[in-house]
Amino acid sequence: MHKRGMKELVVPGVIAVSVLVRLVMGLASYSGWNTPPMFGDFEAQRHWMEITLHLPIRQWYTYDLQYWGLDYPPLTAYVSWLCGLIAHWIEPQWMALDQSRGIETPASKLFMRLTVVVFELLVYIPALVMFARVWQGSRSKRTQELALLTLLLQPALLLIDHGHFQYNSVMLGLTLFAMNFFATGQDLLGAFCFVLSLGFKQMALYYAPAIGSYLLAKCLYLGPTAGGKLFIRLAVVTSLSFILLFLPFLPPFSPLSIIRHPISRIFPFSRGLFEDKVANFWCASNVVFRWKRWASTNFLIKLSTLLTALGFLPGVVVLLRAGITLCMALNDYSAQRKGKQSHTPFLPLLPYALLTSSLSFFLFSFQVHEKSILLALMPVTLLLSGAPVDSPVYSWGVLVNNVAVFSMWPLLKRDGLAVQYIATLLLWNRIIGYNPVRLPPKSFIQFISMAAYAAAIALHVLEWVITPPARYPDLFAVLNVLISTPVFVVAWLWSIKSGIEVGWALGGLGGERKPSDEKIAVVKGSYRQVGGRAVSLGYAQTRRREADRSRASSVVAD
Amino acid sequence: MTKDQPEATNSPSTGFSSAIRHWLPWNIEASEWDIFWASTALKLLLFPSYRSTDFEVHRNWLAITHTLPISKWYFDTTSEWTLDYPPFFAYFEKFLSTFALLIDPKIVDLNNLNYDSWTVVAYQRATVILTELVLGTAVLGFIRGSVEPPVQRIISAALFLHPGFLIVDHIHFQYNGFMFGILLWSILMARNGNKLVSGILFAILLNFKHIYIYLAPAYFIYLLRSFCLSPAGRIQTKNFLSLANAVIAVFVVSLGPFVLMGQIPQLRSRLFPFTRGLNHAYWAPNFWALVTTVDRALLQYIKQTGADIPINEFGVFSTSRGLVGNTVFSVLPDVKPIHTLVITVAWQSICLIRLWSNPTYKSFVTALTLCGWSSFLFGWHVHEKAVLLVLIPLSLLAAERQAYFRTFVIASVAGIFSLFPLLFTPTESIIEVAYSTLWVAFVYAPLSRRVYEYPKSITYVIMDVLEKVYLAGFPFLLLFVTLFPIWASRRRQDNGEPDAGYSKLEFLPLMATSVYCSIGLIWGFCRLIFIYHYEETTYQGQLNEIR
Repeated sequence: MHKRGMKELVVPGVIAVSVLVRLVMGLASYSGWNTPPMFGDFEAQRHWMEITLHLPIRQWYTYDLQYWGLDYPPLTAYVSWLCGLIAHWIEPQWMALDQSRGIETPASKLFMRLTVVVFELLVYIPALVMFARVWQGSRSKRTQELALLTLLLQPALLLIDHGHFQYNSVMLGLTLFAMNFFATGQDLLGAFCFVLSLGFKQMALYYAPAIGSYLLAKCLYLGPTAGGKLFIRLAVVTSLSFILLFLPFLPPFSPLSIIRHPISRIFPFSRGLFEDKVANFWCASNVVFRWKRWASTNFLIKLSTLLTALGFLPGVVVLLRAGITLCMALNDYSAQRKGKQSHTPFLPLLPYALLTSSLSFFLFSFQVHEKSILLALMPVTLLLSGAPVDSPVYSWGVLVNNVAVFSMWPLLKRDGLAVQYIATLLLWNRIIGYNPVRLPPKSFIQFISMAAYAAAIALHVLEWVITPPARYPDLFAVLNVLISTPVFVVAWLWSIKSGIEVGWALGGLGGERKPSDEKIAVVKGSYRQVGGRAVSLGYAQTRRREADRSRASSVVAD
Repeated sequence: MTKDQPEATNSPSTGFSSAIRHWLPWNIEASEWDIFWASTALKLLLFPSYRSTDFEVHRNWLAITHTLPISKWYFDTTSEWTLDYPPFFAYFEKFLSTFALLIDPKIVDLNNLNYDSWTVVAYQRATVILTELVLGTAVLGFIRGSVEPPVQRIISAALFLHPGFLIVDHIHFQYNGFMFGILLWSILMARNGNKLVSGILFAILLNFKHIYIYLAPAYFIYLLRSFCLSPAGRIQTKNFLSLANAVIAVFVVSLGPFVLMGQIPQLRSRLFPFTRGLNHAYWAPNFWALVTTVDRALLQYIKQTGADIPINEFGVFSTSRGLVGNTVFSVLPDVKPIHTLVITVAWQSICLIRLWSNPTYKSFVTALTLCGWSSFLFGWHVHEKAVLLVLIPLSLLAAERQAYFRTFVIASVAGIFSLFPLLFTPTESIIEVAYSTLWVAFVYAPLSRRVYEYPKSITYVIMDVLEKVYLAGFPFLLLFVTLFPIWASRRRQDNGEPDAGYSKLEFLPLMATSVYCSIGLIWGFCRLIFIYHYEETTYQGQLNEIR
């Protein structure tokens, strides 16, 4: 298209095409379609619109909890209220209190589907466009557009939001906005966005360790004076945003006791270790250890918390270490100059930290849903979107994405989304130019990919041909878990390893060394990978270019 | 669009693509694969969309051809959707039914009416996607060996992704992609100078779906003049005999068994039911839609003013209902099938005379388009779907010059818009509008720059402005068509009881669509006839280089 002189049409065109794909996805059935009395996630979201529209705020978190009681944070409730208002204006029957339970007319389905698309257009898609501009600003327009397309057509999110029916894109979009604002140096705005993200869906907590440690590292990096100032500002902004979010539940608007309701609904520790079959450590190891049989819930909560913390610790440590070492290494810069810099040198670490943190939550934390893998998919797809074809980042990104979609297969099959599963995978892998046969031969990643794909395909074929024995009705779901979990575990280890490598490479850019030394440090050993990864984040590339223009470009070229 | 454009075509390690290359004579480029896979994914996603009764029609045909012996195919009336396509299509259904049996035996059960399980939907929809590959390969063939491959690539992509196919085939359910694939192969053969094969393919197509008989006059004249006669006018006996024999052979294979069984009268009554009215239930946007509207307007005028003009009472009833199949005029004189035939043939002859004197490839494609166009505008009981007979061949001419391009844009926008009422479920309606808008944008943007010409006189400027105003009216028409029923139902709710005044107006959006689109299609027809007869003498466009 560039050749035909239609440059300015490409981004709107890409967005329009992806919106079309979303609309077409909307034809499919959704979670709980035509299955009274409880239906599924679609009905849950619609029910929340209904109760927020008709009930006073203090009853939102207490009304008939047995039938899809509200258990998301207040921002979801406010958004539901807005949607309910519009729906009520169009057709009051869709949202009639109690009377509308299970309503499934073609028009109400379309309305619900359109709300997801509209919110995605308002939040997630602008966030992606901004991401391409900010994080990949130094790359060619074509790369940015391709990155956008890769992110827009990510199959897992399409299937869950527009097939199964949820609003994950809003939460992810808000976190992505936070990342974008961190990249442009507007940390306070970023913190505010992240609080909004948490306030939309508590699942954003998976990102909290990474975001928190990034901001802390930034404070450390800026040194005691500027850093201290920033720290206080961040603390104030964060607390104020939380208070703002919960304002209707706090005095003077409500009695203080009301605040208990949303909090206890949002964090349900009363449920089990895992629900259904989810491709995480607990569910996979359950085959051998039978956790629920001998361990008390309390013990399991503690154990899972401990393991999760251990899981995201490396990411946190690398970020903080980068903050400290760079602060010391670059102390020849004046503090002011550091403050004025829009970029933080350890910014490229953020996606890796987000990946490590979200994967460790997914693998080890308590009460995980299979859909939670979406949180890990965002950072890995962001990394993948800017990586050259066949680079390790690219290969890992594709593998994790594909296996994540595969891990949700039992859910998608239940929702009647088999054709959509095939179509979105086909579309996305083609668009990003993925060819599993063409991976760098005999690399670890190729081995893993081949094994995972072969196992997944074999399982699909088996499931098609054989009906599971009556003794093990969940046989295929368990096998699915056993195939997916190792991939996620390896991906988690890879994220830690790459985070450390990138951090080390950044630390290597110490102040005493001359630019030529940097180059040598980067060229030695396995640094092509590091280079490729840093390139994928754009920022490091720019930095290196500033240091040594001609040589940097030659490294990027090979 | 992919990252691997250079690698994918050049790397020798890819066994898959080299195997493909061995099977297909052309090097399929990465961008072409992209379009193919992306559109396939989109079509897969359309599996659960709305299906018209045509879906059950085709399922029933699978069952008929599978369970019954050939002698009973055209006699079966188990379902109301009897077999009314020519024998090749029946053979085709017979072929598909063998696989359907493997997928789910209930598909081919004759008494299993309105079967709509997941298996039958997936199977039938998948056959549409697969048979559309005939179209895909044909448009690829047009790129190879074309005068200007970059332009042809856009046109080919536009044809393969045509909203008409998406709406009529992949949502509404028919096999037009397959049928037009054969037609395009036939045209491609004509372009490549292989006129014998072109004629044979068209004969085969006629035996798949007889609606293509609308285009037959152009084929007849073209093949007779350029293949059976020498430029000087002497008969080429060898060519003539081979073509005649081949065409007869095709018809023998198709109709032979039925001739032997003495079933030709039965076939004729099934294939050509002359019991229908002038207009289809929803008026196709043609000349008769305009005439019917004028008749209604006159009726209203007479009712209002009490003018002394005789009124046909039967016609008053007919027009007030609107959805009745048989249209009887209340003021204007009635139209009989013979009238429509005479008018159609007259218009076609005007084009065919020109084709006779100038039997080049480009002239042939234009005449073909005009033949389809006159039949569409003036034919008896024309369906709105028949507009594809105009739009598909016209697309081949789109990039010739500004004049052709403008005709193409007007006809495509009006023609595709006129297909919208086929789908009335809310989600599908949004999808068809969104898809068509994108298609128009993606076709218009690159082509309009290529063919731009500076207006020559004030007449051109006025025409240009009027045409732009006409095109700009479509968003407003869409708005009206969408909002009017909502407004009417609100009013009805407010008034408590269903009001006769509003139910009478239910037909208004459909009528508005028909009339507005028919204006564009009639204007496009006039444009193309004019261009055809008064061609520029200087630069003609790329297709003129093909003799």
